[in-house]
Order: sequence, then C-alpha cells, then structure tokens
Amino acid sequence: MSKGSGLGPWFGTTRRNFLRQSSALGLTLATGSLITASVRPAWAQGKPGGTLIAAFSADPAGFDPQRGPSGMSHVVIEQVYSTLMALDPDAKPYPELAESFEVSEDGLTYTFKLRQGVLFHNGDELTAEDVKFSFDRLRAPDSGYSYTAQVEDIASVDVVDPHTVQFKLKKRVGPFLIYMAFPGSSIVPKKVVESGHDLNAHPIGSGPFKFVSYQPRSAIKFERNEKYFEVGKPYFDAMEYRIIADITALTNAVMSGEVNFSNEIPPKDWAQITANPELAGVTLEGSRYNWLLPNNAKVPLDNPKVRQAVAVALDREALVQGAFFGLATPILGGVVPQWNWGYADIQYFKPKGDPEKAKQLLAEAGFPDGFETTMTIASSFPAQMAMAPIIQANLAAVGIKAKIGTMEIPRYWDEVWSTSNFDITTMYWLSPLADPDDFLTNNYKCGMAINVQKYCSTKMDDLLEKAKIAPTQDERKAAYHEVAQTSLDEMGQVPLVNGWLLIAHSTKLQNYKPMRTGFLKTLKDAWFEG
Amino acid sequence: MLRLIAWRLAAFVPTMIAASMVLFLAVNVVPGSAAKAALGIDATAQAIARFEHQHGLDRPLHVQYLDWLGRVVKGDFGVSFQNHVPVGPEVLSRLPITLELAALAFLIANLIALPLGAIAAFYHQRKPDTIITFGSTVLGAIPNFWLATLLILVFTLTLRWLPSGGFTPLFEDPARNLLKMAMPAVSLGVVSSALLLRIMRTAMIEVLSSDYIRTAFAKGATRNVVLWRHALRNALIPFLTVGAVEFGFLFGGVVIIEDIFLLPGIGSLVLVGIINRDYPVLLSSTLVITFVVLTANMLVDIAASLIDPRQVHAKAAT
Repeated sequence: MSKGSGLGPWFGTTRRNFLRQSSALGLTLATGSLITASVRPAWAQGKPGGTLIAAFSADPAGFDPQRGPSGMSHVVIEQVYSTLMALDPDAKPYPELAESFEVSEDGLTYTFKLRQGVLFHNGDELTAEDVKFSFDRLRAPDSGYSYTAQVEDIASVDVVDPHTVQFKLKKRVGPFLIYMAFPGSSIVPKKVVESGHDLNAHPIGSGPFKFVSYQPRSAIKFERNEKYFEVGKPYFDAMEYRIIADITALTNAVMSGEVNFSNEIPPKDWAQITANPELAGVTLEGSRYNWLLPNNAKVPLDNPKVRQAVAVALDREALVQGAFFGLATPILGGVVPQWNWGYADIQYFKPKGDPEKAKQLLAEAGFPDGFETTMTIASSFPAQMAMAPIIQANLAAVGIKAKIGTMEIPRYWDEVWSTSNFDITTMYWLSPLADPDDFLTNNYKCGMAINVQKYCSTKMDDLLEKAKIAPTQDERKAAYHEVAQTSLDEMGQVPLVNGWLLIAHSTKLQNYKPMRTGFLKTLKDAWFEG
Repeated sequence: MLRLIAWRLAAFVPTMIAASMVLFLAVNVVPGSAAKAALGIDATAQAIARFEHQHGLDRPLHVQYLDWLGRVVKGDFGVSFQNHVPVGPEVLSRLPITLELAALAFLIANLIALPLGAIAAFYHQRKPDTIITFGSTVLGAIPNFWLATLLILVFTLTLRWLPSGGFTPLFEDPARNLLKMAMPAVSLGVVSSALLLRIMRTAMIEVLSSDYIRTAFAKGATRNVVLWRHALRNALIPFLTVGAVEFGFLFGGVVIIEDIFLLPGIGSLVLVGIINRDYPVLLSSTLVITFVVLTANMLVDIAASLIDPRQVHAKAAT
C-alpha cells in the first residue's frame, strides 16, 4: 500500500465495480424495479487469524442502537449488529441483511426481502419480526433515540412473511436507504430485548463480531462470529478497541506497535507515521467539514455582504498548510465534497483568498474601513486553534479586526455554542451519513440545534426539502446545486476546509478498505498477512 | 498510644465530610454544563432539560449534595453521565493500579532521597553535597509530564525497550506489569525525590551535629554504623511527615502521568471526569483520592509516634 498518498491499490480494480453497481442502484431507484443481492462486492479469499488492536480517543456511551448516541458507540454497534442496507467504502448503499429490495413507483413503499438463515449471536434466527420490532422501538414517542429525524417519516413497518418486511413512508425520503445503513438502524433481537436483556451493556446482534467485554474508558473486546452470514468472514479471530484519550499517546501506541490500527491520527503526527517502515498510512477525503460561523443575528454580520466579505477574504490554502499540514481539501464552493454525487461544481472562492473583492463587498455593505469583532474558539480542538490566527490575519488584511478568545470545551458548549453567544466561532463536524441532506439540513435549516449561527432563510428551507424528497438522484443533484448556490449567495456560514481521514495501520494488514463515512464496517473484509 | 489512634480516627470522619463538601462545591462551581458536555454538538434544548431532570441537576445544590452524600455512604457512587456504567465498581477496580503506581513511585523517590540525602548531609558543604544539592534542584524543577514524554521518546520510540503504555495486572504477569509501570513510576518518583532529598539532608545535618552522634563516634562506632543506625532513625521522623504530604502530591501527579502512559487508574479517571464534566465520575474519583491521602497521613502520624514516643504525649495532650 502506498504510504501517505491516497487510497492504495485496491481502489484500482474494485472501485470500478462499485461505480457500476451504484449506478445500477441509482437507475433502479428511479424506475422502481427489483434489486438483487448481486450488487454486493465479492472479495478475494483472505487469511484467517490474528487480533486487530485499534486505538480510539473517545469512550462509547453504550451499545444499544436506540440509546448509544455517540460516534464511538456506532463503531462498536456496526461490528456487532447488521443493518438492512450497508454502505460501501464510497458510501453507496448495498443490501446487507436484505437479499433484495423493491421500491414502489411513488417512492413511498420499500419492500425488503431478507436473507434466510441469518443468526443472532445467541443462536436465534433473524426474521422480519425483528426488523419491525427494531424500527418500532426507534419510532416510539419516548424512545430517546438521538436520530429521530431518520425514522419520523416512516408511517408503518409491516411483516409480510417471516423473510419479507415492508416500510410505508409518509413522504418520499431521498436518503432512506442510507438511513437503513446507519448504525442506529441496526436490527436487534426482539425476543432478547423483550426478555429484559440490556443491550446497552451487552449487545447481541448478527454482525461479524461478537461483543465480549467493555472495560470503561479502557478497552472493548470482540471475538469472531463463526456463524456470520458472509461465510468465511470476518478473518480476524478477535478485535480489541483500545481507548486512549490523549491523542499524542494514541500516536505513540501506533508508532510502538502496541496497537495496529487507528483512524484518528492527528495531522501533526502524520509525517512520523509515514516515515515508519512498519506502518501504512492511508489518507481519504470524507466529510470532516471545518467551518466558520458568523453570528447571523448580530450587527454587522447580519448583513450577507459582510459575511461574504469574511468568506472571500480567507486564504484556504494557508489554512490547509498551516492547520492541517497539507492534509485537507480547501472548500471552494458548496460544502458537499467532490467524491459525493451531490457535489455542485461551483468555484466561488479563490484558494488563496480575494482581499480586493472582500474590501469591495465591505464598502458595498457600508463598512469601507472594516469593523471590530471577536472570534471565540474551543481550545480543545488543535485544528481550530491553529486556524484562528490565520483567519485573524486574513481578516485584518481587509480591515476586519477580530480579537481571538479561547475557551475549554465544556465551557464553550455551555457559554458560547448552545447560547449562540459569539460574533464569530469555528467548528468541525464529521458527517456520519453520506447523504448531502445530513450535513446541509443540520447546518442550514432554520432552527436546527446545530445551526447556532442562527441562519434562517425560507428559500433555503424550501430548497432543502425539495432536494430531500426529489424522486431521482439526478433531480436531487440538481436541487443540491441550487442549495449550494444559495448557501454562497446568503453565506449563512462560511465553509473552510474538509480535513482528511488519516488512517495508520500495520503493513501486515491486507485488503482494508477505508470508508469515506469514517466507519469501520469493512474491517470484516481485511486480514493479516504473515 | 491507643488514645492517639482513637483521637486520629475520630478526627478522620469530620475531615472527610469537610473535604467532600469542598469537592462537591468545587465541581459544581467550575463553569460548563454536564448535560451539554454529555450530549454534544447537536443537543437540543429539550434534550438538555430532560438530561438535567433525569440526573437531578435541576435541584438546589444543597439537596444534590445531601442526596449524593447519602448514597455515597451507602456505597452507591452513581452512574457515569458519559457511558452509563456504575462508577463505584470502576473506581474500585482502578484504585489498586493507582496505589501500585504511587507506591512504586514513592519507593523510587525514597531510594533516591534517603541515601543521597544522608550522604549530602555527611559531606555537608563539601563536593558531594554540592553535586547532590545541585542535582536535586534540577530534578525538582523538571515537570513530571515532561520527563514522561522524554522517557517515551527515548525508551519506546527510539530504543524500543519498553512499551509506550497500557497495563497488565500484577498477578497476571508480574514481569510485564513492572515493565509497564517502570516509566510512569520513574517519571513520578524521580521528580518527587527532590523535595524528600532536601528534607532528608536538612534533618540529617541537624542530627549529625547533635551530642549523641559525637558520643557514638567517640565510642568508636564506625561511620556506617553511626550514619545508618543512629542518625538515620532520628532523621526519619521529620522525613516521614513530609513523606506523607509528598505521597499526597504523588496522587495529584498521577492524573497526567496515567493519561500519558494509558494506565487505567484513578488519576486518568479524574481527568476524563473534568474534561466531560462527568460529575459522578469526578466526585467519586477525587473523593477516593482524598480518602487515600487522608488515610496515609493518619497512618504516618501514628507511625511517627511509634518511632518517637515523645510525640504520643505531645499529641495526646493537645
């Protein structure tokens, strides 16, 4: 595997397969016919054995798909449970527990035919009853599920026969199949849950690995599921997720061979990783958006021209080099990245910034001499801290004097973020869903919890809804182009750069396919050589 | 003697209660919200309110304190806000790791401080004294986390002799346990030894200039006998008292050191408790540390009395 430079050889041959399969998927969605399981990628036979030891910085918050709200819970949940659909490395959905599925002409009914003979880790067979139970559980009014937006448009889930289940939707939902692949949508064993078993403490699913133990803030252990429905997989005998809160200690553990996998290498340590002959470094553009938030409710940032001036003044190349050691992509138009089908090819920003245009916009807005403002940054995020002085210098060059204030993260959440008590702040977010709707709606729709910049536009809200429910992917793509254009015209928030996923693993690890979502489902396809 | 022990034990309970009050207040006046830290970036106002109600954080502080204290007395340390796992068993399983680390570090500190302190005193204002005093000043100025990082750089990343961190239980594989404890214990112990060394030196200088030492020499006792048998025992009394305080400092030091070396002890638990504003975790771990430090101080007081019977009468009289 080439070190520190892109995707590695597996993409060469197999990516074409993915593209072919996914275009077939798009076509079928549009015409409403039957999809069969043949779209599942087939991999070369691997070598069984070994233990994968992976390092993570966060502690999970439980393992019940309904209750585990955090990203760290999800990377455990995805190994232990299975979902109706799964995402390939390029984040395109393919049937997993489903053998095939059918979509009605109006896009309101999805019928999934389930694989037969799929077993939960306790030996019970997985049937349509379990699927219905799992989703009814998420949809219950007091479920406490963190991602209710994904299931609120489901009108009913019905068991047609033991291996067929039908979802009726209240309206068309563009990302529905992606939702079906989300770890929260994992299928749980009805009988086990009804008997009072606590999945949060001890998860039981039908996934490639069985849960063995969880030592809080320390380690999670898995063992191979011998009866996994993809015969022969997974290849590792066991997996262990080590929790290493300190990010430098995490790099040290990878460098010294204490752990043999991590997808949380900080950019500052990347050169060390790629210089180590025993490690392979893989970079991949996902959707780790870094953005600048101008408070839309505060003078003078309530003026779109002022926000545009801020946005065009920034030298995104300098942000990439200075804060990400070159390991990020500058966002030059809408936020949806180029690898995603929803990408709108708009070159709005100059990579090095455009101070002249910024000054002109400021003059048009009535601030020819600029203005004074403040920028509050969460000190616990190194990249945000590194970007702040660059942004400050770029703004100063056009007459905007921004004073930087920093704050430790719990205080920041409490006093700055949740109360929108800032002029300007910056933040990043790893979008766990591959669908453009996930990031765009959460950040641009009026009143969303994450829209702390208080951007509100009826035009944008309407466009987002239109893009979400459009019947075909082409129509959705066209709508997202309009969303991107509007997001730049109104500049409710300022996109900066997309930080790459930085993955390091032992060179012995073979056939590992990094996923753009940052998930690790594809570990089941990987093995150790030698 | 028994009266002294009884008196010490009686004072222990109000001290613990006072400490628990200070801890509870400190944790609650630190800015930041537990709910927002637990629920993260996209938490809605309703979710935050529901969280605070569920965990009783919307009640007056004194009600929360009494409720918490009542449960702690019954052995219920609550459930972590972050991972929903009961905190009590976790604290108990982590305590031996921190105790081992602190004990090893303390041992290292003493192994450095006792002989070097004594030697420096013996050669008072001569070359060995100057060298040792200078060395201890340097050691005392080094931050333990810096030494820790340096040790990892040298022994793990360059020489590849020692693992970068992690923990193996002592009874599972003692050799591996010590291998993993070596760097953390050294980085804590070496830095701690500086103060102990200076105390030892001062106490020893005082003892060595006293009449009975001169008498011992006059009786023809060898240098080693005088130094190690006569002088050391008497110099140990002030040393022990300071040692107990230093042991408490060591417990403070474990917070960062455990984090650097991935030791799943109480110290690293304090750190995640602070970072996440996970009140049950933070309160339980700091309370246990307080308990251990107070207990160590009490035991040292009693031990000091055993070595020096005069203190029994002095303390019993107060």
